[in-house]
Amino acid sequence: MGVNSLPCNDLDEQIAQLMECKPLSEQQVRALCEKAKEILMEESNVQPVESPVTICGDIHGQFHDLAELFRIGGKCPDTNYLFMGDYVDRGYYSVETVTLLVALKVRYSQRITILRGNHESRQITQVYGFYDECLRKYGNANVWKIFTDLFDYFPLTALVESEIFCLHGGLSPSIETLDNVRNFDRVQEVPHEGPMCDLLWSDPDDRCGWGISPRGAGYTFGQDISEQFNHTNNLKLIARAHQLVMDGFNWAHEQKVVTIFSAPNYCYRCGNMASILEVDDCRSHTFIQFEPAPRRGEPDVTRRTPDYFL
Amino acid sequence: MDSSNLTTLSEEETSGSEDQQQQQPVSAFASVPIRPPTQSSLQKYAPLDWSAYFDREDDIRIKDTENVFHVYMAGTEGPVVFCLHGGGYSGLSFALAASIIKEKARVVAMDMRGHGKSSAENELDLSIETMCDDVVAVVKEMYGDSPPAIVLVGHSMGGSVAVHVAAKKSLPSLAGLIVVDVVEIEWSIKGGSLRNVDSARVSIPATLKYDDSKKCYTHRARLVETEQYWRGWYEGLSEKYLSCTAPKLLLLAGTDRLDRALTIGQMQGKFQMVVVRHTGHAIQEDVPEEFATLVLNFISRNRIGPHGVEMSNLAQEINTMNNDIYQDSAGHSSLKFESDVGKSNDDNLLHDEQPFP
Repeated sequence: MGVNSLPCNDLDEQIAQLMECKPLSEQQVRALCEKAKEILMEESNVQPVESPVTICGDIHGQFHDLAELFRIGGKCPDTNYLFMGDYVDRGYYSVETVTLLVALKVRYSQRITILRGNHESRQITQVYGFYDECLRKYGNANVWKIFTDLFDYFPLTALVESEIFCLHGGLSPSIETLDNVRNFDRVQEVPHEGPMCDLLWSDPDDRCGWGISPRGAGYTFGQDISEQFNHTNNLKLIARAHQLVMDGFNWAHEQKVVTIFSAPNYCYRCGNMASILEVDDCRSHTFIQFEPAPRRGEPDVTRRTPDYFL
Repeated sequence: MDSSNLTTLSEEETSGSEDQQQQQPVSAFASVPIRPPTQSSLQKYAPLDWSAYFDREDDIRIKDTENVFHVYMAGTEGPVVFCLHGGGYSGLSFALAASIIKEKARVVAMDMRGHGKSSAENELDLSIETMCDDVVAVVKEMYGDSPPAIVLVGHSMGGSVAVHVAAKKSLPSLAGLIVVDVVEIEWSIKGGSLRNVDSARVSIPATLKYDDSKKCYTHRARLVETEQYWRGWYEGLSEKYLSCTAPKLLLLAGTDRLDRALTIGQMQGKFQMVVVRHTGHAIQEDVPEEFATLVLNFISRNRIGPHGVEMSNLAQEINTMNNDIYQDSAGHSSLKFESDVGKSNDDNLLHDEQPFP
């Protein structure tokens, strides 16, 4: 809706092109990312978000499943979206996926929030596909450079209506309050350790307390940690992504934490459902599950009856 | 098959100069004299002795059997990094890496049955069960009933053995499992996959023996005759790997090629995966420094000491961090990013190191 002063016609054309899974030119990407940077650098490490909003997890370059997500959840800006990172790597269309999300961010900055995932990093994308895809589609690494430079500005977490704390990974032993998160300088490559690394890498665990993460980065945190954190910060829920869950969403820690994963049949082989979480005006929430984008025919969607957590 | 490996290595220089000669009539570089090699290939590829890398060797005799397993050892402190080589290799496959790892941990690299200087009643029984029993027997013979913490490292076929030993919980002091590039069998026996000349100089001789009847060198390990066992090495391996409770590191060469079970496990954060680039199948031989650093970082990150996991360190570190937070909320300066959160030895992380996403 009319929340920007940018030349919308060009941008609308670009979005239409991207919706057909056709990448922009390097020049267009460069201009787009310059605008995106101006918008993102103004956002907080704990970006406030209002309901209604639909919260989404990992996409990983599965463009057609992202298109399916928009068909199911509603088009942006008709539906407000909050994406919790990992747009690139693994799938075949990282370029189109991340370009589309950034274009939507520039066009409808108040309608969509895009957080940073652990894959929005120079180092990881060189191993897991985004770098190679950029080389393949543009013949050089310029677009990869432009995007990875932009990733440094992506906010790390968001806060929906002061009660749902959204982030890619999980909690950090170095972070007790949301103010701890607000205070640090996020504009950098994702470090190997420390609080910023933990927010993008940690996982909830059945065991209490903090544990060494089997991933090699971040920590595992138990229900006691989640309860303490939610209590300290007056939160109802921590919503996070980062882990594949076969149903597309998974409750943990007696509904203090939920994992949302939005890449169905991850890596085109895992056979998992995807889901998104709708939080409505009344702050009630509904999970919508979906399967891989059908090439033809009707989408296969199951809508869960609403759960309430007020 | 045997000699082709050797000729591949030694012909690189000759083929290069042949190209130049062929191009001479048309090449703009025709006037550039052909540069003679600075070293003859005899010097360049001369065998190196194990003693430059390991501290000592030993023959472990297994009670009540004729089986004798040759082991190479290095280092005096820390947990034991117990290395199992791939099919057709030998314990010396880990020589270069051992010379670095031994600074902070003990290294034991054994010659598996039918390989290197080990000898067994049945050299051709490379069934997964037999090889697992061999490893457990060697550990028991070396350390008795109170073994130190063991980080089991296995490459290719040895990786499969390591996974099976770990999954069966046959080693009570197992503190970590590192599997190196377990891929299809063709890879591991085709040979010609080594890129590090120094490592080839120390590790290749042990994989060959002179066959008087054929008047040539043949592979020490008669792998082709063990084909009946190959399926057992790899069947259900991913599920077994995921079932191991010890901390796990999967090292892959080049790109990740995970099956469904591993992809799910990895995407659920069940283990650490590192894709090492610019290397062939034998990561420990091609990039021994990087391999050693990855092993040592894995040990350090998982707090594996000589007697097992030292969790008290973690609690202490978290306390230190929390103290920082209290200071912060009391009005002192905010948290620093690269702050020392107490993980020792992690500041020398290699550029390529990827914790698994």
